[in-house]
Amino acid sequence: MFFLTFYRALRFAFQGFWRNIWLSVVTIIILVLTLFSVSVVAGINVVGREMVKSIENKVDVSVYFFPTVSDSDVESVQYRLESLGSVASVTRVSKEEALAQFKERHKNDPTITESLNELTDNPLGTTLIIKAKKIEDYPLILQVLDDPDYQKLVQNRNFEDNQKIVARLSDISGRIQRGAIALSAMFIIISILIIFNTIRITIYTHREEIGIMKLVGASNWFVRFPFIIESLLYGLIAVAITLILVFPLVQLVSPQLQSFFQGYSFDLAAYFTGHFLMFALMQVALATFLSMASSAVAVGKYLRV
Amino acid sequence: MIRFRGVSKLYPPDVTALKDVTLSIMPGEFVSIVGQSGTGKTTLAKLIIAEQRPSKGRVIIGDWDITDIRSHEIPILRRQIGVVFQDFKLLPRKTLFENVAFALEVAGASRKKISSVIPQVLKIVGLENKMDRFPREVSGGEQQRAVIARALVHRPKILLADEPTGNLDAINAHDIIELLRKINEFGTTVVLVTHNREIVNMLHKRVITLDQGMVISDQKSGRYIL
Ligand SMILES: Nc1ncnc2c1ncn2[C@@H]1O[C@H](COP(=O)(O)OP(=O)(O)O)[C@@H](O)[C@H]1O
Ligand SMILES: [Mg+2]
Repeated sequence: MFFLTFYRALRFAFQGFWRNIWLSVVTIIILVLTLFSVSVVAGINVVGREMVKSIENKVDVSVYFFPTVSDSDVESVQYRLESLGSVASVTRVSKEEALAQFKERHKNDPTITESLNELTDNPLGTTLIIKAKKIEDYPLILQVLDDPDYQKLVQNRNFEDNQKIVARLSDISGRIQRGAIALSAMFIIISILIIFNTIRITIYTHREEIGIMKLVGASNWFVRFPFIIESLLYGLIAVAITLILVFPLVQLVSPQLQSFFQGYSFDLAAYFTGHFLMFALMQVALATFLSMASSAVAVGKYLRV
Repeated sequence: MIRFRGVSKLYPPDVTALKDVTLSIMPGEFVSIVGQSGTGKTTLAKLIIAEQRPSKGRVIIGDWDITDIRSHEIPILRRQIGVVFQDFKLLPRKTLFENVAFALEVAGASRKKISSVIPQVLKIVGLENKMDRFPREVSGGEQQRAVIARALVHRPKILLADEPTGNLDAINAHDIIELLRKINEFGTTVVLVTHNREIVNMLHKRVITLDQGMVISDQKSGRYIL
């Protein structure tokens, strides 16, 4: 009895699908549009997040010590900075390395090379290069250096120049995130409108059928089951189509992004392939939820005959 | 077979479709329910299949008081009453055969039973050659005969027909009534709701007349009196 009912529900679902092929096509198109827009927003979010990360990665702050400051004093500052939770790394560049780097950078400038050669002592001090975990943390980290004990040691720091850049970048990253949120909200609203409409179409087409089925003595489950399977079918087909659409798009966009990110390795195609299963499962969940919820609402409304 | 005891039906806010209706229909009877439109005939039919509940009074089918029927029992009731309505209620996406089969499938009938019963009932209604067509591919009269065939598959004790000829021309209407008469001769109780004067006068069967929700006449071998 159960298998017979199940088999019949399955048969009715496929019949309903083929014999109402236009409604099936329209429903699937709507689902594909919804899934596609949600995928695009998700993609923008991923890219935006990576972009902010890549920019943050490029920002650091250099602290230049007086040449006279001893290594142990520098070490204690370094130690202090490293103990801060918001600091990602502190790299020390010794006087010698600093000089070598300076010479390297200015090897084509004879005046600087000459004047350097006249000096017997190394005019440069040790440098600490600080990287914060988050771009907003720099001002707080650098407050540590305002400590009067440290002020005597520090000759200069490039944060004041960097500060403007950092402020700009924080601003841009905030804007990207707000933009992504606004875009997501927009797509979600559009999706809800579309889904609402799908429900209305479903109600309209099934209204009469459900009434008839009930009148000839069908139980609620006998009516509901084929519709559920039919909507499951819509969902699965919509996901398949969306994945087929998204895949070449990712392949197309990925190289462009890579050249844009310059030096920061981010491969959208690889990211997509890596997260493919999760991506597909989420789509299946979303699509079946949407189509089943809408048909459940539609069918439920007319079951009380 | 069918008993109404002091049944009233109100549709909120202020329509009284039936007012204190008491009647009883015996097994094997052929009863016509007549009256102008809007007098509550369809409401009476809907009360029999529990598509509506009475506001007052009781409705009893056989030994079963369905006044307060639970919703999961309704399918069981409906499999015992064949229903034929004016706007040929066939499933548009199913063939005539599938439409008739559906009524058996909902009750969990075996494939063997389906393949033996359906050709039989389609033969009774004269559709044995058109069973693979969709409703839109056959005439109104043929659709209505398919509806009757579907109503018959459970071998119901009651056949309830609400204006079954309302959308048909005179010849098709006549065929349908003849079919109902034949079914009644097999022993099925037939309740025919109609406002077609010629049909009622031709039948020479019991006639219950409704007016503004009340029974105003009930005659053994009646005529259309309004
Ligand atoms: N579902 C409903 N809701 C509200 N009023 C209804 C409903 N069905 C019928 N009515 C009203 O009840 C009255 C009787 O209707 P109905 O039983 O369909 O009469 P008939 O079948 O004799 O034409 C009419 O006034 C009609 O408008
Ligand atoms: Mg009516």
